Amino acid sequence: MSGVTFEAGARRPGSRRTGNVLIWIAVVLGALAMIFPLYWMLATAIRPRSEVFQPVVSLIPQMLTLENFRNVAQRHPFLTWVMNSTFIAVIAVVITVSANLLCGYVFAKFRFPGRDILFFAILGALMIPIQVILVPEFLVTSWLGLLNSPWGVILPRAAEAFGVFMVRQFMVSIPDELIEAARLDGASEMRIFLRIVLPLSKPIIAVLVIFTFMWRWNDFAWPLVVLTDQELFTLPLGLNLLRGEANPDWGGVMALALISLLPMLLIFLIFQRYLVQGIASTGLK
Amino acid sequence: MSNSAVMANSVRPATAARTRRSFRRPWMLPYLLITPNLLLFSAFSFFPLLYAFYISFHDWSLIGDVTYAGLANYRRLVADTQFWHALLNTAVYALASVPTTMAGGLLLAVALNRRMPGRVFLRSVYFLPVVVSAVATGIIAAWMFNEHYGVINSLIVRLGGDRIPWLSSPAWALPSLVLATFWVRVGFCMVVYLAALQSIPTLYYEAATMDGASPSRQFWKITLPLLRPATFLLLILNVIHSFQVFDLIYVMTGGGPGFSTTMLVQYIYQSAFMTSEMGYASAIGVVLYVIVLGFTIIQWRVSRQSENVL
Amino acid sequence: MTNVNGTGTAFSRRHILGAGLALSVASGRAVRAQAPVSLNFAVWGNRAEEDAFRRLIAGYTAQNPHVSIRLELSGSSGQLYQQVDTRLAGRQAPDLVRIQYQQVGRYAKAGAIVDLSGHLDGGLAAQFAPALWKAVTYRDKAFAIPHHTDTLAVYCNMEMFRRAGIELPRRLEDSWRWEEFIRIARTLKDKAGAPFGFACAWQNTAAYRFLPFLYQNGGQLLDEQLLQPRLSSKEGLEAIAWAQSWFTDKLVPPTTSIKTNEQTQNLFANGTIGMLVHGDWQIPFLQEAMKQAEWQVTYMPRSVSMASDLGGNCLAVTRDSKNRDVAIDFLRYATNEANMRDFCIAAGFLPVRRSLMDTKLEYPLRPDAMQVFVEQSRTIPDHLAATVTLPDFSRINTKLGEQLDLAFTSGQSPKDTAENIEGTIRSVLKG
Repeated sequence: MSGVTFEAGARRPGSRRTGNVLIWIAVVLGALAMIFPLYWMLATAIRPRSEVFQPVVSLIPQMLTLENFRNVAQRHPFLTWVMNSTFIAVIAVVITVSANLLCGYVFAKFRFPGRDILFFAILGALMIPIQVILVPEFLVTSWLGLLNSPWGVILPRAAEAFGVFMVRQFMVSIPDELIEAARLDGASEMRIFLRIVLPLSKPIIAVLVIFTFMWRWNDFAWPLVVLTDQELFTLPLGLNLLRGEANPDWGGVMALALISLLPMLLIFLIFQRYLVQGIASTGLK
Repeated sequence: MSNSAVMANSVRPATAARTRRSFRRPWMLPYLLITPNLLLFSAFSFFPLLYAFYISFHDWSLIGDVTYAGLANYRRLVADTQFWHALLNTAVYALASVPTTMAGGLLLAVALNRRMPGRVFLRSVYFLPVVVSAVATGIIAAWMFNEHYGVINSLIVRLGGDRIPWLSSPAWALPSLVLATFWVRVGFCMVVYLAALQSIPTLYYEAATMDGASPSRQFWKITLPLLRPATFLLLILNVIHSFQVFDLIYVMTGGGPGFSTTMLVQYIYQSAFMTSEMGYASAIGVVLYVIVLGFTIIQWRVSRQSENVL
Repeated sequence: MTNVNGTGTAFSRRHILGAGLALSVASGRAVRAQAPVSLNFAVWGNRAEEDAFRRLIAGYTAQNPHVSIRLELSGSSGQLYQQVDTRLAGRQAPDLVRIQYQQVGRYAKAGAIVDLSGHLDGGLAAQFAPALWKAVTYRDKAFAIPHHTDTLAVYCNMEMFRRAGIELPRRLEDSWRWEEFIRIARTLKDKAGAPFGFACAWQNTAAYRFLPFLYQNGGQLLDEQLLQPRLSSKEGLEAIAWAQSWFTDKLVPPTTSIKTNEQTQNLFANGTIGMLVHGDWQIPFLQEAMKQAEWQVTYMPRSVSMASDLGGNCLAVTRDSKNRDVAIDFLRYATNEANMRDFCIAAGFLPVRRSLMDTKLEYPLRPDAMQVFVEQSRTIPDHLAATVTLPDFSRINTKLGEQLDLAFTSGQSPKDTAENIEGTIRSVLKG
């Protein structure tokens, strides 16, 4: 993948270099502004409480302390929350990505009565705001006996319309000839999917893994009604508990917010190389 | 990567061939494969949506009994100035946040597609906020925008300016929200545009350069048109997102001051859980769903006419 | 331990057994006929409250080993109601809930909480403060047991007061008049270096904390029979205009209107405001967070009369509870004299049993400040208590908050504000 070269016009090299430097400076300044809120989270989390509410705040903490982290760890089962969030996100990724791959493959490579209607119905699900169906969805979850269990968070969110759409877009571009050739060789449908389609789909799988993990890791409105036991809380719920009007411990809130961010950052840093590639290969041109 | 673009274009011609071949597969195989997803969608999306539709014709306090109300909830909605206010706010928020975020993403994508020191690192920095949860974003934003002990006003005061009433004046609350939205969403737009930029064959630019086209002309005449599918995708996703934004506002402003940041989803939440009018909340929800669906279908039509997105 | 509930011998036997050392053996025998029971108890609260609830549960389960109670903690009262309402719809509500007095009518009317009248001793009602017992009754039946109350008073930054040369009133009778209060707020702003004079903690869903000011001015939200709105009276319009003037005269920070997530205690702790109208439960926070200046508490301002807010919570059993008898037994235990005293002392609340209201509780944190709240709580008007505990008050409250916010932030006139609120009140009371 070569860089885009539309700047390679016939210009004087000097002005081009100045232009590049200016653009670079602008991008770096923008990046500093983007990273500042995260820095500020860190700065709030590691400064003592007395420094937090100053009317004019110093940009660099005058004193460093881990008391906020200690407080959170002492008062709340935050390691349990990390485990819960991880469990939910990982299981959800496995279920959602598998279901999406199957579903997207079918919509991309099969023709059958009702296909378009079903596909648009699924896309229609993308547009339902959660607040609209919160209560009916809760009723279903309750009838299925899934309340106050991680499965009550995982299953209702396992079908993800965005994922089906992305997979379909990607798989449409897998040549039919490949599949046809395999079938002529006597390969079973199962084998074709596992041995031919899936290996070609690595970029889109990476995209789905990142996004599904991110969504489940950050979910708030839905787990809030399903999970009532503090021992089953996910990190956003714990964060919300700390933020509540009765618990205005900002240093602790920032400390937990920071902790809740770290696994996401890790996942992102590992997979980011595939992210652009994956999105690029969904036929977006 | 540019291969995939070419392939995507070949979908339609290939359809006929596929039809001929598909008889060899067992007829129920596709249905079987999508069953898991369909079951989940039916139980947790379609059925609840229908149920919300049913509830919208009833009065229900959530904790009490359900009584039939006919079209009363919809009639009330038409006359409810708050509903229209919330709808207007939602539209204004979408109009303010979607174009700015997308333009920002496009500019960044173009800039970061050039060779420059630390390019990969800079891209990561811009994408980073995307992974931050809405609750955490709201907390940080409310914290930084606080008029009295927030860091932004603190900086302004230090530079000799006056404190800005970010979240307490109706005029500033929405811009603050748009700024926070920009921070979370711009990275996603950038990545999608980057992906699209990299799929444009360099051949096009080489040819244009040989013809003596200036860089800006190349941008307008080659880059932008070829980015159209990405733009449509982003437009749809961002509009849907901006019509559904909840957590961020819930944490940042609670819908105030006045009605200045009360969006439709906020109003639904308030009707359902604060004033215990689930029937009315469902009616607003149904209307919101129809609006988003209608918008998306229009977008789809337009995009299908100009480009082969689906 | 005083057995105030009169529940008979079984209860006191458990007390004795619970005190024994061979706890498991002895009580295991005493309750051998009882199958294990597990209850869920939904609350919100700060650290002190959470700890106090956990102690309460530990005490009860020590005496009743076959019972286990799981504490479910919400971030705020608003979130608790959202969760509980949703779970009631799914018939999955927790057995026990902590609710504000303002919510009793709403839950009772819908049949969501259990009528306790058949389960309680006849003399129990007389042991509680009449206004609060009335607050937990709906159609003459008790649907909850009062647990504690709290009220509003005025926190003062003493550094600023000294700089401005202002003394605090010593007695309730000497509490500041409205004009005095405003003059002091202005002086703090002009002479004592306070960026703003004061702020009132009525944010989020607490719009009803405007009502004390209304009553101080001789106004009422509803008429005597609670059937018609009365906000558009001269007194009512004056009260709205007065609160509005705090904002237009910049005596309060603009961020402290109603529809915001501002946390006023932070503004007081960091010296942005000189006075804070807030409740007793802020004492632990200020004790820890406000290091740079000494603070004291004084009484609410008054106009023609004195008034403060009906705060606090009661405990109820939901209709979804499968072990009502045990749940109700826990309510009795939680609200008995000894446990009420412990809870109030530990979490900084005011008791609601007459026997405790007459004695001076030994608050470990700032007993001087608590004493002001205790005195102030006697000024809660009965009519205010009856108003905020109406079944549909939450709808009125939402409207109140929204319209007052428009008056404070967007310049809506007091007259329009009152009329809009009255419109909603009429339709709510009619329905």
